Amino acid sequence: MGETTPEADPRKLAEEARDRVRFEEEALDLADQVYRVARRLVSTREEAEDLMQETYARAFRAWRSYTPGTNLRAWLLRILTNLNIDRGRKVQRSPDLQPLEEGDYYLYNRLEEAGREPSADQDRVDERLSQDDVVAALSAVPHDFRDVVVLVDIGDFSYADAAQILEIPIGTVMSRLHRGRRILKRELADEAVQSA
Amino acid sequence: MAYGAQVDPCDKCEELLQPYLDRELSDAERAEAELHLDGCSYCRKRYHFEENLRQFVRQATVEEMPPDLKQKLAELRTSLF
Repeated sequence: MGETTPEADPRKLAEEARDRVRFEEEALDLADQVYRVARRLVSTREEAEDLMQETYARAFRAWRSYTPGTNLRAWLLRILTNLNIDRGRKVQRSPDLQPLEEGDYYLYNRLEEAGREPSADQDRVDERLSQDDVVAALSAVPHDFRDVVVLVDIGDFSYADAAQILEIPIGTVMSRLHRGRRILKRELADEAVQSA
Repeated sequence: MAYGAQVDPCDKCEELLQPYLDRELSDAERAEAELHLDGCSYCRKRYHFEENLRQFVRQATVEEMPPDLKQKLAELRTSLF
């Protein structure tokens, strides 16, 4: 968008108003999807609601910086994740990179060792884990890893989109995702085996 | 074989698990994973389990937006005019 002054031209003023209304409607249509991600980036519903309101207030003010035709949901979440960090969460510049013993098959293997092998015809995870177990396990994942897990696994963003939203290299997305999922599975394994 | 002499095929398959389910593998890597999965029930069971786990995590963490929040967001819009 250029720096024109639509006040001088009624036609431009009308075009601008139309573009703005369209932007606002599209952004509001995405609110449910944005909220689902926001809710898992923070601890409480109240925090998620505040963050949503701050995000939408900023988005409505900055609507001209959105490029029509690009991914609006990712654009909104970029604002939201930046605000979330600004709200007091320090970015972990050097998150814990100690190697994890747990591999990608860890949860399955733990269940198998505990004598609860998920058999071919009975492999439903929800028979072993409650919704609360999953929410608690996700909360236990450190922020920097959780952000990526939430964007990719709950928000269904690609690695490239997650990299853009968080303003980190795609290789960092992949390594944090990998580690975040392993931590999540370690937490879930503890819950699942305890409840065996 | 597509695998290097020193790499256990199941280790390699485990390494491809996450990007495979994320649909982020190249065609060649995807074919490599699928070739191994076709003949290895050990990895196949774990891939299937992981796929179910992903779905479950997604469903379990969904919390619908409070009904009045959308109205509050819409009011942020109108107040700017």
